[in-house]
Amino acid sequence: MTLRNHYRSLTLLFALALPCMASAADYAVQPSGSTLGFTSSFQGSSFDGQFSKWTAAISYDQAKLAASKFDVTVDLSSAKTGDSDRDSALPGADFFDTAKYPQAHFVTTGFRQQGSQVIADGNLTLRGVTKPVSLNVTFKPQGSGATLDVSGTVNRLDFGVGGGQYKDTTVIAAAVKVTAHLVLTAK
Amino acid sequence: MSLRNTEHHWGSVAKFFHWIVALGIIVNGFWGLLMTGMSPSMSKINVYALHKSIGLTVLALFFLRLAWRMFDRPPRDEPAPRWQQIAAHITHMLLYGFVLAMPLTGWWYNSLHGYPLQWFKLFNLPALAGKNDDLARTAHAVHEYLFYLLLLVLVGHIGAALKHHVFDQDNVLRRMLPFGRVRHGKTSPGELP
Repeated sequence: MTLRNHYRSLTLLFALALPCMASAADYAVQPSGSTLGFTSSFQGSSFDGQFSKWTAAISYDQAKLAASKFDVTVDLSSAKTGDSDRDSALPGADFFDTAKYPQAHFVTTGFRQQGSQVIADGNLTLRGVTKPVSLNVTFKPQGSGATLDVSGTVNRLDFGVGGGQYKDTTVIAAAVKVTAHLVLTAK
Repeated sequence: MSLRNTEHHWGSVAKFFHWIVALGIIVNGFWGLLMTGMSPSMSKINVYALHKSIGLTVLALFFLRLAWRMFDRPPRDEPAPRWQQIAAHITHMLLYGFVLAMPLTGWWYNSLHGYPLQWFKLFNLPALAGKNDDLARTAHAVHEYLFYLLLLVLVGHIGAALKHHVFDQDNVLRRMLPFGRVRHGKTSPGELP
């Protein structure tokens, strides 16, 4: 199995590198300047939303992708899109259903390099459904810290967000682009 | 029945514009009054989308109709006291104004509230103004009260047409009816050109 061989060589790599790498660098997220948002479209017009409450455990090293990890928890009731009608609908049972599922959770399962682009593969748990989601990662070291930009696209219907009467994608687009900008300081 | 107006009869193009716009006003007006009470749902979103699409259609028809009206000479006024002819013309001008103002104030309100504006899911139209929640409430009131005023003028317009049809038994209504035939011997040149 190529995957097993892959793991074996990785294990070997780890063993050789062990003295110098325990794990990738851990970072703390600076709330000011860090954003987690999403973009979708309603009646042919795009709209942006932001989550104001979320936490992220970021462990990342471009050279040690196998030891890197993102673990993000989002308070879904903190979503704001700049429209009172939409914002009062979002936490409801038809959309996020925050009474039953207050949080969304994303945790990486691995990182891969595609050309010059690093891609984080992970599982997103949203509204009781867990599905794989991949994010493009742009990591820029800055002094002892860094900035981390991630973006990816999820299909809201995969997670039952706006299912039922709101599943008509000619009115509310299925694709939701998720973007985050994290200002990181070394732990 | 000719496409163009004749001396005593509205042509089929003018009739088409008149009745399609009438239908748009009636449907959208009452629909508009009822829809605001709906609880948030996909049906409400779709009902509003249809209201906006019909309103935009009426707006487009208004301009086409105005262009046609300028191109095609209207029939002579039916014989009636001069004050009635003048009142009819004022009513018609007011109605034209309302048919223009209703969609425009709706569009204005929609823009101020920050809603998208789409025509039958086919294309989007730009906002007329930036988002402003306070002004949006005013615009909504203007849009709604303008409709009540329109209804008032419409009562006069329809009432006068029926009065001519039922009591005077002349051609005022008949010459605008889709398949109406004018009563001969009832029409003579009006006093206004």
